[in-house]
Amino acid sequence: MTVATSSTVADGRDAPASCANAPVARKPARLPRPARIGLYVFLATAAIAFLLPLYVMVVTSIKPMEEIRLGNLFAWPVKLTLAPWAQAWTSACTGLECGGIRVGFMNSLAIVVPSTLLSILLGALNGYALSFWRPRGAQAFFVVLLTGAFIPYQVMLFPLIRALAALGLFGTLPGVVLIHTVFGMPVMTLLFRNYYASVPHELFMAARIDGGGFWRIFVQLMLPMSLPIIVVAVIMQVTAIWNDFLIGLVFAGHDWLPMTVQLNNIINTTTGERLYNVNMAATLLTSLVPLTVYLVSGRWFVRGIAAGAVKG
Amino acid sequence: MTNKTTRLALALAFAFGATLGVQSPAQAQANRAEVLHWWTSGGESAAVKELATAYTKAGGTWVDAAIAGGEQARAAAVNRMVGGTPPTAAQFNTSKQFLDLIDQGMLANVDVVAAANNWDKILPAPILNAIKIKGHFYAVPVDIHMPAWFWYSKAAFAKAGIASEPKTADELFAALDKLKAAGLVPLAFGGQPWQEKITFYAWLANVGGPDMYMKLYRDKDVNLPATPQFKAVLASFKKLHNYVDAGSPNRNWNDATAMVIAGKAGVQIMGDWAKGEFATAHQTAGKEFGCFPGFGPKSPYLVAGDVFVFPKINDPAQIKSQQLLATVFTAPATQVAFSNKKGSIPIRTDVDVKSLDLCAQQGVTIMKDVSRQLPTPEMLISPDLEGSLQDVITKFWNTNESVDDAAKAMSAALKNG
Amino acid sequence: MTSRRPLLRHLVAWAALLPMVATVLWVYVGSVLWSMRISVSSSRTLPIGDFVGLKQYARLFDSERWVLSLQNMALFGALFIIGCLVIGFLLAVFIDQRVRAEGVLRTIFLYPYAMSFVATGLVWQWMLNPELGLQATVRGWGFPNFTFDWIVRQDAVMLAIVVAAVWQACGLVMALMLAGLRGIDESLWMAARIEGIPKWRVYLSIVLPMLGPSIGTAFVLLSVSVVKVFDVVVAMTQGGPGLASEVPAKFIIDNLLVRANIGLASAASTVLLLTVLALLAPWFYARAHASRRAERVARALRASATQGATA
Repeated sequence: MTVATSSTVADGRDAPASCANAPVARKPARLPRPARIGLYVFLATAAIAFLLPLYVMVVTSIKPMEEIRLGNLFAWPVKLTLAPWAQAWTSACTGLECGGIRVGFMNSLAIVVPSTLLSILLGALNGYALSFWRPRGAQAFFVVLLTGAFIPYQVMLFPLIRALAALGLFGTLPGVVLIHTVFGMPVMTLLFRNYYASVPHELFMAARIDGGGFWRIFVQLMLPMSLPIIVVAVIMQVTAIWNDFLIGLVFAGHDWLPMTVQLNNIINTTTGERLYNVNMAATLLTSLVPLTVYLVSGRWFVRGIAAGAVKG
Repeated sequence: MTNKTTRLALALAFAFGATLGVQSPAQAQANRAEVLHWWTSGGESAAVKELATAYTKAGGTWVDAAIAGGEQARAAAVNRMVGGTPPTAAQFNTSKQFLDLIDQGMLANVDVVAAANNWDKILPAPILNAIKIKGHFYAVPVDIHMPAWFWYSKAAFAKAGIASEPKTADELFAALDKLKAAGLVPLAFGGQPWQEKITFYAWLANVGGPDMYMKLYRDKDVNLPATPQFKAVLASFKKLHNYVDAGSPNRNWNDATAMVIAGKAGVQIMGDWAKGEFATAHQTAGKEFGCFPGFGPKSPYLVAGDVFVFPKINDPAQIKSQQLLATVFTAPATQVAFSNKKGSIPIRTDVDVKSLDLCAQQGVTIMKDVSRQLPTPEMLISPDLEGSLQDVITKFWNTNESVDDAAKAMSAALKNG
Repeated sequence: MTSRRPLLRHLVAWAALLPMVATVLWVYVGSVLWSMRISVSSSRTLPIGDFVGLKQYARLFDSERWVLSLQNMALFGALFIIGCLVIGFLLAVFIDQRVRAEGVLRTIFLYPYAMSFVATGLVWQWMLNPELGLQATVRGWGFPNFTFDWIVRQDAVMLAIVVAAVWQACGLVMALMLAGLRGIDESLWMAARIEGIPKWRVYLSIVLPMLGPSIGTAFVLLSVSVVKVFDVVVAMTQGGPGLASEVPAKFIIDNLLVRANIGLASAASTVLLLTVLALLAPWFYARAHASRRAERVARALRASATQGATA
């Protein structure tokens, strides 16, 4: 199978004139009209089904509580109000403080950025070493690593807490970054290992012949080539770490609690009253960051994996 | 290493080093106390503010650490104790939740404050039993909640033609029938296991009686579920299921209260924290909704509460803060102000309760009658056994399991717990 | 060409892999061993070092809730993985047909992945609630016999959870498949047209096998979600009605946090891990076997190529 790099990704535009004599030299060819209509109907139906929960969330977030209590889930608000959004951001109570989710925003950024960088770097490094250098026995470690991805985090909490406490990192920012890196390692390693597995070995051998050492080849050849898969990894890690609650709660300490802790405080009060409109607004606000990352790199996301990343 | 590699390495070192170099802000404040609790809604926040204000006035500095969800907050407290950075005080319930911590020597006692403030005399027996372990006081109580009030919508009752509050189980069933006939949802119910559990033990206390209740939860009598009297209680409890609507499974308790608030449903059995929802909807006790704590003038009053425990910290300043917290929390003025905002009742009966709402005042009066006080199951049995019994109840409520099978399952759970 | 200084080359590689090795040993192997140790003790809220043999395991399999949770996980896993793969594939294929507004459509199918289940789970609970959501609405439109009450039925609640879970995850699968599709060479389509093979045959017999690797990765990611499924169940049903939607991760966390029974929780997680290993081991073995064979073939080819070059 040909290795598809980003230059040969076809997003449906005209192919070069290599099959100029063929009747329609495009991939995939257009469907006949009724099939085309059926196609759009299917996609539109699917889109509506997917958007339904979002519609309910948005509509609930702009209704006053009296209307929500009446229980008409899909009804457009009679008295539209944007107050819940303002409240969610700046004044919803999350304990003694009533500062909304804005409070944890900078903390979340401070956690997401280094965690994403570090976990992707290590994933790339592991994938590179496993794919090209293949030290004996490393494969076994990789298999165990991947199995570890299946364990629920809560099971590993106590020993990790004790370990971090012994290192003096419990409740600190480096500590929570370390934990995110560790938990992200299995999937990141898998991603990069599969990507590098589709890179022709000859490229690597040529670099070695040219006198390249381990690190030189990694930094100067492999990393620049991995740009598409790095974008994929960024999207997956930003989503996972931004929305993470448990690790931030346990390991970040009082001064670095991420936004998800405030979000949880707003939504999950045990016996307090629940303002559903504020809850929905807060959730939508929190999800804006990963959503923006998708929108901005949506193109690359698809193209990135297209670059032969998923050879399994 | 080449230029590019060096730059990359430096960038990453900087990124990581930046996180290492970040320091937490300096903490040189008088009587600093980090308090971990799970009160995060608007109403609860106002209540915590009373505590914090009182503490600040007494010369302390309150650092808030709120985590929603009782289990999450308690787990976070335990995790932090294990990790060596415990909070100054952590919220628990009057229950057996913190006994393991005491056994492992992780909690400090507040005997000094208890002696100075006469806790032995002013606190009701169920609360005392929950906080005094092996002769030492390991927790400070801050409120008393009653998890099983009966709330009803006055409009719904009027529509159904119900003249007065039901005084017996039969009267309740008659009222529920009338509500059904009027086209309303008779019992607003949230089908989550913890709500089913509360409804069951409220029913057991009211219909089976305090003796049967204590036999089950305090004595863990394995033979009790097999008796015909107990089975009768199980059967009448299941009868309530005929009066809930089809959408009741999985429902949050607030959504059930919303049905009562909107007049779509008649009755809800829920704790006194439900007043918060009514208050948010601008409804007042006695006007749009009514409340009664059980059947008849001698109905049992189930006592639950929140307490704060104090992790053992070797810092004399922290110990001083802990003792100051304990003193402030139990002071009469703090108790009244807190109860007002929280919807609970004060832990001491020697306070002026004129400012509390109708239902709370009723509660305080009832508490003065010691014979009516009944501890909630979590004060009597371990969380593990409580969970097993909850599993039995939720299965019985949600399936067609026979009363006999449910009774057998209950006996088995008691035997294993 | 022989590899120069193999020992040194391996040393450097191992040095780079040190974080991974440390993570594997310390975090994963270490925690699992610790957890196994706790599972043969009577630990409640905090770890205790005593030894009670297999008592916790006996209690585990006596527990109706645990057995049910395993059954639910199997049912959920099968439906969820198949559902995501099929729907993801179909969406990818249809979007690949050069439709207009492809970017918008892609975002619509991907946005659920960005949201945590805490709030979206509640929305699904409302939508699937017969009195509040879709059933009530459709009945209001004049179809009084329309029923869609899976979420309140003991026998159908897992289906309701599958619906919400598929909604959240199949956008990612779609993206994976779409990328795989985009990587397929132009000439394939031309050849198919020339041969006169109908489109659907091409997809089924040729494209699908070529997407094997994408499907493989999607399968692994989805399997991890199945084993760890927790948020969606808690947000939608809290394990109810009754015990009907209990799942292993929820059982473990309940015993860990709420019931103060970490001995039982550790036993449960050990059993869960062993189950996963038992299911994965054949797959891993097959992959390792295949890759070793491929490597041997590749090495032989390279050897013969260089021989041919130097000859």
